[in-house]
Amino acid sequence: MRDWFNKGEHWIWLSSAMVALSVVLVFGLFAMISYKGMVHFWPHHVYEYQVSNGQQLEPVVGELRDAKIKEVPSDAGMQEIPQLLIKMGNRDVYGIDFRWISSDTLVSTEPKIAENAVVIERYEYGNVYGWYDRFTLDGTTVQDAELEQLLQQQVAKGKALFDEIRQIEKYEIGAVNYKLEQLRLDEKRLKAEGKWNAEQEQRLAQKRDELNAQFREFQQQTQVLYEQQKTLGELTMKISGGQTLKVPVKNIVDYWQPNEMTLLDKTGFFFHGIGRFLTEDPREANTEGGIFPAMIGTITMVLIMTILVTPMGVIAAIYMREYAKDGPVLRAVRISINNLAGVPSIVFGIFGLGFFVYVLGGSIDELFYGYALPSPTFGTPGLLWASLTMALLTLPVVIVSTEEGLSRIPRALREGGLALGATKIEVISKIVLPMALPAMMTGLILAIARAAGEVAPLMLVGVVKLAPELPVDSIAPFVHLDRKFMHLGFHIYDVGFQSPNVEASQPLVYATSLLLVLIIVGLNLGAISIRNRLREKYKALEH
Amino acid sequence: MSEKNLTIAMNHENRNLRLADEKVAINVKDWNLYYGQKQALKSVSMQLPENRVTAFIGPSGCGKSTLLRCFNRMNDLIDIVRVEGEMTLHGDDMYAKHMDVAALRRRVGMVFQKPNPFPKSIYENVCYGLRLQGVRDKQVLDEAVEWALRGAGLWEEAKDRLHDNALGLSGGQQQRLCIARAIAIKPEVLLLDEPTSALDPISTLAIEELIFELKKDFTILIVTHNMQQAARVSDYTAFMYMGELIEYTDTDSLFTNPQVKRTEDYITGRYG
Repeated sequence: MRDWFNKGEHWIWLSSAMVALSVVLVFGLFAMISYKGMVHFWPHHVYEYQVSNGQQLEPVVGELRDAKIKEVPSDAGMQEIPQLLIKMGNRDVYGIDFRWISSDTLVSTEPKIAENAVVIERYEYGNVYGWYDRFTLDGTTVQDAELEQLLQQQVAKGKALFDEIRQIEKYEIGAVNYKLEQLRLDEKRLKAEGKWNAEQEQRLAQKRDELNAQFREFQQQTQVLYEQQKTLGELTMKISGGQTLKVPVKNIVDYWQPNEMTLLDKTGFFFHGIGRFLTEDPREANTEGGIFPAMIGTITMVLIMTILVTPMGVIAAIYMREYAKDGPVLRAVRISINNLAGVPSIVFGIFGLGFFVYVLGGSIDELFYGYALPSPTFGTPGLLWASLTMALLTLPVVIVSTEEGLSRIPRALREGGLALGATKIEVISKIVLPMALPAMMTGLILAIARAAGEVAPLMLVGVVKLAPELPVDSIAPFVHLDRKFMHLGFHIYDVGFQSPNVEASQPLVYATSLLLVLIIVGLNLGAISIRNRLREKYKALEH
Repeated sequence: MSEKNLTIAMNHENRNLRLADEKVAINVKDWNLYYGQKQALKSVSMQLPENRVTAFIGPSGCGKSTLLRCFNRMNDLIDIVRVEGEMTLHGDDMYAKHMDVAALRRRVGMVFQKPNPFPKSIYENVCYGLRLQGVRDKQVLDEAVEWALRGAGLWEEAKDRLHDNALGLSGGQQQRLCIARAIAIKPEVLLLDEPTSALDPISTLAIEELIFELKKDFTILIVTHNMQQAARVSDYTAFMYMGELIEYTDTDSLFTNPQVKRTEDYITGRYG
């Protein structure tokens, strides 16, 4: 045994155990998020349970979402009773859509598949679980096979109408509103500059009239569409407990019969669900629908951050590595930069809010947007300040990796360039920088990964729970730096912890987390492959 | 000794070289160099002849590379270096305040100990210096590349792969590429800092033959650790020791009849 210790075997065992633990943790985390996130998109079976409350039986129909063991004291000591979480939907009837059921109140613990049960996803009030009863359109009522055919046709129509209305309301009317707001600001500016006269007044009034006319036209169009929506028909569902529930077609997002689906159907449904998750807006206080605006917000913020941080970091690194004389000052600067990377991110958020938003943004407002005050333009959290704060946060990563890249370029190559009559700046720009490019990109990708995952500072400088408009759209200047935006990281926090319907939002938290993790893992893999290629490229130079 | 003499005899046709008869390319007068407090070159004075090969030999740390790097002001890159004295290239003061260092380096090319081609194509490597000077004309560049590669004896091997990456060449080929790159801008002087120390014997031979050819067009200064090499390729040899120029004369005399005891000790292998 002493021999064993003397050989240092215990250290080998300890370190390998730690490695194993880390690997298990990483894969465990990933596996859990993947499973919990993905299972949300897979169609669940709908079961029928009989719950007895002593005197009578109450049927409960829904999806089994979770189970846990509850310990209940009884005569024979502690008794373990499984508890089932059932998503039973029909919130407008039952008031809740999730319910914990204790298994000792169940008539049979074997779940019974509810045959032909239909799940309907609605724009409001969540899912419906039940059975087809009848479909009413223009006073005629159909049932069974005819019903299914008609329903399919009417839901497709409803979807087209919904998209059309959304297009008009969100983009066309949005654009008109934006232009009207610009006119209002123009008027304020002209008045502030003292250029306001009858001619201007007339010009603006004319424009305003045109826009208002457009607005009314769009409104009429939507009005017509809304009327059409009302005539799509109405589905009546039988739900558990012998009740019926009326579902107007205009409220139907999608419907399916999970118990009758083949594996192929389910797979199709699964991918269709993922697609919708990625491309739709959130609904019902973010607890349903997709995450499209959060994704766009994250990507836009990260791209603007990249544009800001790259020149700053690269130029600083070039100065420090190539020009600055080594000495206490340079060393102090390097230490500061390295420590900057360790500053808690919320501190950057506070700095961003205090300096960028209030001082810089406030000054910009006073100088250029004074006419719009007291409503701030840049003196309020927004995309620009969030990107700038993130740029500051990731600056050390970019500087350090660029410096490392520069220092990897062999001295012999620089001398070779200089000996051919190149000046220092020519050597740097034509030989050193192109060769350091992969290292710079590595740093940049790491910075992007960091910025994409950061939440705390963003809450202070521009991210909101629900942004009415995307930060990028088709109205000039296309990227709206002053707008607030949504972000995946904050979305996770908001959906998970600020949501009124915890059970409904839980799968969305996992799905959003999975997406965020996948984005970051993808970026990191990119960084690693670039670094490897860099090593390959310079192997020949390292004799 | 006899074997060495034979080698020299084989490679030198015109035996009667005398420093006093030569045209001077670089004139060094009372040259001192300090690394911080430490003096690395001590009062070196010498005249380097035009269109000849001058070799610098001496034990490690004797200052021969440092002196060579003074001729194209490479030592400027080291912050703590300080120089005193006078150095002229064809009459121009190389260390004058108004001297454009980049322009000076175009007149004094250099090839380093380890081959250092840029990670670009062979073609781009050779025309790098010309591109720096703003040459854009494709035809001019093509001709210059061919001329330089022929001059460096690499044309036959490289002509079919001009646009391949230079790092794919062998060590000896890379070094000849570096020579081609240096001569492409037609310098007056070519500095070779132990150009064959990282190469195999065959490549070394190729470079030595090349040096023989190149001296028709260029003044060549070569630092070498290898005394046989100095004897084979050079017309004049300078022996340095501890930062001082001990003996400097034509190669034949230096190797067959050294005037200073220390030179004799070195070339006969008593130390070094």
